[in-house]
Amino acid sequence: MKNIIIGQYIPGTSFLYKMDPRSKIIALGILMVTAFIFKDISHILYMLAGVLIILKIGGIPIVRIARGLKPIMILLLFTFTFQVLFIKTGAVMLDTALTLTTYNLGIMIIIILLWYFLRKYIKSKLLFMVVIILVILTMLSMYTPGTIISSSNLTIYEDGLLGASFIMVRLVIIVTLSTILTLTTKPTDLNLGLEKILKPLNLVKINAEEIALIISIALRYIPTLLDEANKIMLAQASRGVDFSEGKLKDKVMQIISLLVPMFIISFKRSDDLANAMEARSFIPGKERTRIHVLSWQRNDTAVIVFCLVVLVSTIVLGFVA
Amino acid sequence: MAIKFEQVNFLYPSFDNDHFSALTDINLDISEKGEFITLIGETGSGKSTLVQHMNALLRPTTGNVTIYGIKIEKNSNKDKKIKLNPLRQKVGLVFQFPEYQLFEETVLKDIIFGPKNFGVKEEEAIARAKEVIQHVGLSEEYLERSPFNLSGGEKKRVSIAGILAMEPDILVLDEPTSGLDPKGRDALLELFTNIHKELNKTVIIITHDMNIVYKYASRVLVMHQSRLVFDGTPNQLFMKENIAKWNLDLPDIIEITNQLEQKLKLKFDTLPHNVDQLFELMKGVL
Amino acid sequence: MNIIEIKNLSFSYREDVPALHHVNFTIKKGEWVSILGHNGSGKSTLTKLIIGLLKADEGEIYVDNVLLNEETVHEIRRKIGIVFQNPDNQFVGVTVEDDIAFGMENLNFERDEMLNRITEYSKKVEMFEYLKKEPHLLSGGQKQRVAIAGILAMDTDIIIFDEATAMLDPKGRESIMKYIRDLYHEGKTIITITHDMKEAVNSDKIIILKDGEVLEIGETNTVLNNKEVLNKSNLELLLPLKLLYKLDEAKIENKKVKEILWQLSLNK
Repeated sequence: MKNIIIGQYIPGTSFLYKMDPRSKIIALGILMVTAFIFKDISHILYMLAGVLIILKIGGIPIVRIARGLKPIMILLLFTFTFQVLFIKTGAVMLDTALTLTTYNLGIMIIIILLWYFLRKYIKSKLLFMVVIILVILTMLSMYTPGTIISSSNLTIYEDGLLGASFIMVRLVIIVTLSTILTLTTKPTDLNLGLEKILKPLNLVKINAEEIALIISIALRYIPTLLDEANKIMLAQASRGVDFSEGKLKDKVMQIISLLVPMFIISFKRSDDLANAMEARSFIPGKERTRIHVLSWQRNDTAVIVFCLVVLVSTIVLGFVA
Repeated sequence: MAIKFEQVNFLYPSFDNDHFSALTDINLDISEKGEFITLIGETGSGKSTLVQHMNALLRPTTGNVTIYGIKIEKNSNKDKKIKLNPLRQKVGLVFQFPEYQLFEETVLKDIIFGPKNFGVKEEEAIARAKEVIQHVGLSEEYLERSPFNLSGGEKKRVSIAGILAMEPDILVLDEPTSGLDPKGRDALLELFTNIHKELNKTVIIITHDMNIVYKYASRVLVMHQSRLVFDGTPNQLFMKENIAKWNLDLPDIIEITNQLEQKLKLKFDTLPHNVDQLFELMKGVL
Repeated sequence: MNIIEIKNLSFSYREDVPALHHVNFTIKKGEWVSILGHNGSGKSTLTKLIIGLLKADEGEIYVDNVLLNEETVHEIRRKIGIVFQNPDNQFVGVTVEDDIAFGMENLNFERDEMLNRITEYSKKVEMFEYLKKEPHLLSGGQKQRVAIAGILAMDTDIIIFDEATAMLDPKGRESIMKYIRDLYHEGKTIITITHDMKEAVNSDKIIILKDGEVLEIGETNTVLNNKEVLNKSNLELLLPLKLLYKLDEAKIENKKVKEILWQLSLNK
């Protein structure tokens, strides 16, 4: 739970924190669209620079964003590799033969075993795995004595590299922007902002206020649910359920022994809560006044205008180029 | 010595949590046979944390807990040689809320869940269930019912039955009588006393009810702000210590006796253990 | 004047199991009435019927002379505040402040008025410093106090405490009982529903339910003196009362001792 930074609010004082959540959401939307309009890698690098500047002015340490990117690292790597290997246009950047022989098969196995045993001690496991793969590839292309078992070519084209980098940068921009939003906006403010923005949905009979209330009740119960889940696991562990090991069949039983009580408790809770809410004169669909209000400042308008300018410039630049 | 705490300190990995029950410098010996222990202390004093160390659900941050010869320290869960799971059959822990535990379709299936996890064959487990359901004061016909359709008190008893069926050597119960009416409460305490006396097993009960402490316990452990501040007999506790400093009340019978002594300006010879004894004492002076 | 009238109320969850059967009683404005009963006596059903969460099979409920039905249910809910048993399952707000505001928001109070009342009533239940705290950081007793603040903020004169102390530790129970006594002295009409006689001794009137029917209604002092009824009720007797009855049985006529025991019953 600690690593997933998307969705975790950390208090602060920069202008990002003072903005109305509505303007942040709208700004995010506009900037996301902008990121998708770019076609040229040099242009999108400008946008990345812009995002880094926002981080600097907003007082958000890059380290925090880096931590937030960790969960999607695998996706980034996969996308990069896929693009690099499968785009076959443009100048050739690298062309080697990868040959698997009897001797280097043995060495490959040794390297893999090294990885398997050493990975416990290495902190950045993904990086370690990438390094190991690169070592194996280098070895397969350079050290080839012995009988050849199989052989293939690894060719990397310029467009592949550029395309892969482009997509990676775009992904990084999008995730970073979303992370900025959730880092600087409390979930409850985010909820209120969304509620106000989605109010027009009332015209198509979707009640944004009710949905926002459901979300806020869910937010309220997350810590409680976590606590109960923990207690349930302890109670079941006391009856011999070992959550740390077991075959698939056991795992299924473990999950059931955790989920069933959670559901039962939640059903009772829903019933009680609904009664309590009605007892306090809650009427679904009826207008409610609120103690929390959002106030749109000049800064908010300025930011939106700025984002729109960026968007428009990007579109125009796209036509011009 | 079945369970031994040596200089145990425990800190919860914190999320900025105000309810920060920890343990500080706990030294404690619990023998396998013959003890009826009540563990008392105000909410947050560390009682639940303490008992969760007794069946290795939690491991000490510093110090060690030895359970049936197996020494458990901070990283014992990572040591492949140490098997923690079997300890939970030997030291059976019943949690306060049956809702955290009941999950099977029928009461029978739920009761045999524990024993089966520890390798007991199904027929044997079912036989145990049939016996144990009656010990907790419910008839065999409850076995076919869904655990979710029971009253609060019935759920409580089924959850206790589920642990009893595991045939633990030491029985630890967290507030087993809370939420029960007086009849149910007395019936369960009778059961625990029987387990203690007839099978000579050690029973440990966490409770807020001083009357239970006074009536049933041979040994009292008092927790206050993560420390074990008292380990002795109920008489020693109630007669000598100012237990108000630990935010505890006196048992009703002692409270009433004190009040009567104060208001009638006299002193009884002995401290009564129950209503009848107090009545005899009163008859003596009136 | 009668603020609540229950006439011939009957309700069953399932056909064969009557939860309440021909229950009759009245409660006067400003009274503190304790409804005592063992688990399963029907007392938990009563609260839900009074505010129309359940519909009675038979009988009538009048609150402030208004008959409870589909049209009047919202009006009646505004007159009665309820503190339920499970502190976690009635706490709606993300923070203490939000929860106290919830009822007022439903009733469309103006924002400034709500903020004032939140300050006033959170101070009254000694939770002012906790306004921005989230519920998982609070004890059961604290959560119940927040519930009380929320009810007071809605200006309700009738407050029902439906087993509100059952899930609390002794300290929590004591603190809630203290608030109940204070609210009663301020003139609120209080109904406490419980199975613990200790909580009933300071009320004006006791209603004992058994198996869905009214076993006894009367002034507290009278009911506490009625040994037969208390024995039939399946409730646990208070210790001083047990002694009192024993003295009666043994025909010991010491008035002073009896008076002391009686006072002890009422104080606990």
